[in-house]
Amino acid sequence: MSVELCGVSTAYGGVPMLREIDLTVADGEIVCVLGPNGAGKSTLFKTVAGLITPVAGTVTIMDTDVATTGTERIARLGVGFVPEGRRLFPGLTVADNIRLGHEAVRPDGADLPARLTAIGQLFPRVIERLGQAAGTLSGGEQAMVALARALIGEPKFVVMDEPSLGLSPKLIREYFDILRAIHREGRTILLIEQNAEMALSVASRGYVLARGRIVAADHAEALRASSVVRSLYFS
Amino acid sequence: MKADGAPATKTFSTLRAGTVVIGSSLAVAAFLWAFITADSTIAVVALLVLLAAFFFGLERYPQAEAVVVRSFAEARVTAAIVWLVIVLGFPFLFGQNTYFLHLLVMCLIYSVLAIALNFQLGSANIPNFATGATYGIGAYCSALLALEFGWSFWATLPFAALAATLFGFIIGLPSMRTRDAYLALVTIACGVIIHQLLNNFEWTGGPQGLIGIPAPTLFGYSFASPLPVFGYTLPFQANFYYLALALLALSIVVANRLHQSRIGLAWNALRADEIAARAVGINVVWYKVLAFAVDAFLAAFAGVVYAFYISYIAPDNFTFLVSVTLMTMVIVGGMDNVIGVILGAFLLTLLPEKLRAFSDYRLLFYGLVVIAFLMIRPQGLLPQRLRSYGA
Repeated sequence: MSVELCGVSTAYGGVPMLREIDLTVADGEIVCVLGPNGAGKSTLFKTVAGLITPVAGTVTIMDTDVATTGTERIARLGVGFVPEGRRLFPGLTVADNIRLGHEAVRPDGADLPARLTAIGQLFPRVIERLGQAAGTLSGGEQAMVALARALIGEPKFVVMDEPSLGLSPKLIREYFDILRAIHREGRTILLIEQNAEMALSVASRGYVLARGRIVAADHAEALRASSVVRSLYFS
Repeated sequence: MKADGAPATKTFSTLRAGTVVIGSSLAVAAFLWAFITADSTIAVVALLVLLAAFFFGLERYPQAEAVVVRSFAEARVTAAIVWLVIVLGFPFLFGQNTYFLHLLVMCLIYSVLAIALNFQLGSANIPNFATGATYGIGAYCSALLALEFGWSFWATLPFAALAATLFGFIIGLPSMRTRDAYLALVTIACGVIIHQLLNNFEWTGGPQGLIGIPAPTLFGYSFASPLPVFGYTLPFQANFYYLALALLALSIVVANRLHQSRIGLAWNALRADEIAARAVGINVVWYKVLAFAVDAFLAAFAGVVYAFYISYIAPDNFTFLVSVTLMTMVIVGGMDNVIGVILGAFLLTLLPEKLRAFSDYRLLFYGLVVIAFLMIRPQGLLPQRLRSYGA
C-alpha cells in the first residue's frame, strides 16, 4: 500500500478540520480526492505530507509512519510532492528548482543529466528555460516545473494538491495527459483536486470530501454518476 | 579574411574585458583611498554624492553592471592580479598615518563579520541579532586563554572558534520551533544575555574588560613591531591589515564554496519557501542550525583578530548595536552577494568616522545616508544574482 490513512482527524487551534478520514491508495493506482472550497483538501495534503500532525489516527506512506518521520524524510524515501500554488523557489533558476527535487533522493547528483533528458521528453518547454529564474515563468510553466521537480527523483508515489488551479483548459488537458503518462510508467498518484471532471477522467477511484469528512468513495465511473458529486459540483 | 575575423574579435573582446577590469578596479581603489583620506566635510559629502550618483546610474542602466560582471568573468586572471596588487599595496598609500590603517583593519574585520552574518541573513533569510555576541565570545575566549594560560594567538584561534560555534548551535536550536520575528527575538535575547554575562562575571573582567592581550607573534616576529618591506617601514597596524586581509580572503573562499555547494542551494531554497524546501527533502532544521554554526565560527575568528589587535576588550565592544550594524551592512551591501556585503561593511564602518564633523548629528546623518542608499538601491548596493550554474 502506498498510502493509508486510518481514522485521521486534524484540527487548527482546536477547530476540527478533518474528521475520521479513512483513505487508501494501492501501489500503481491513481486515486483522486474531490471536494469544493473549504472541504479540507489542502489540510488533507498537509496531513499526508506530514506538515500537520493529526490529533487522532495514523498516516502511513510506504509503510512509514508520517508523524514520526517528518516531511523531508518522507520526500527522501521517494515521494514526490506537488504543493498547492506550485511553491517553486522563485529566485532560483528552473535548473536549480529541479536539481533540488533530484538531490532529495540522489545527493551525489550522479544521474541528473540522464534524468533531465528523460524529463525533457515530458516537459520540453521546461528544458528550454533551465537558466531562467523560476519566478519569471508563466503560471502554466511554473505548474510544469513543479511537476518536473517532483518527478526528477523518480518517485514511486506522487501527491498533488490542486495542480490544475489557475491553468487554462488547454493546459489542464496537457497536464492531465502528462499524469496519464507518468501513471503508465508505474507511479502511484494521489490527486487532490477540485476539477472533478478532469480528475475522474484519469483516476481509477475517488473520494469526495465535504466539510472535513469523506462523504463518498467509489470507482471513478460510479462517482461521475453519483448524486453526491453532482450535488457538490454540477447543481 | 573570414577565418581571421573570429580570433581578432576574441582578442578585442579580451582586451576590452581587461580594460574594464583594470579601470573599474583602480576606480574602486581610488575612491576608497579618497574616502579614507578625505578630511573635510565637503569632500566627504561630495564623495558620498558621487557614490550615490554611481549607484543611481547602475539602477537606471543595469546593462553597465552586466558589462562589468561579464568582463570580470572573462578576464579572471587579470582581475586576480590587479586585486592582489591593490590589496597588498594599499597600506603603502597611507604612509605613516596609523589612523587610516586602523580604519582599514576595522573595515576588514567588519567585512568578515558581515560575511559571517550573510550565511544566515543573506543565504537563508534567518534574522540573527546575536552575531555581535559570537564575535564577543571569540574575542573573550581567545583573550582569556592568552592572559590566563599564556596561549599564543594561533593556538587560541581554533578554540575560540569552537566555543563560539557551540554557542551558535545552542542559539540555533530554538530555530527548530521559531522563525521570522520570533526567532529574531530569541537571538536578541541571547545577544543581551551574553553581553550581561560578560559585564557581570568577575573572570571576564566585568565592565572594565580584559587588558594587555599580547600581540601575536609569527616565527619570533611580533605583530606589535613596525613592518619592514623592501626598505620601507609600515606602522605596526599593517601587520594586522595583512592578517585581517588573509582572514577576509579565507572567508570569501569559504563563502563562495558554500554558496556553490548543496548547502548554499539548500539555504537559498529554505530562504524562499520553507514548506517547499521540506517537500523536496531538505532538512530545514539542520540547515538552519548549520547556518548559525558557520556564522559563529567565522565571527569568532574576527573576534580573535580584533582582541589581539586592540589588546583591550570590554563588553561594550560586543553589544546588540554591533549586531544591528552588521545586519545593516548586509542589507545595504546586498544580501547573498559577498562583494556587496564587503562593500556594505566598508561603507558603514567608514561612515561614522567620516561624519565626525557633524558631532552630535553624526548618527542622524549616518541614518540618512543608509536610508538614501536603500532608496537608490532597494535590493542592496550589489543585489544577489541568479545562481550562475545549472544542472
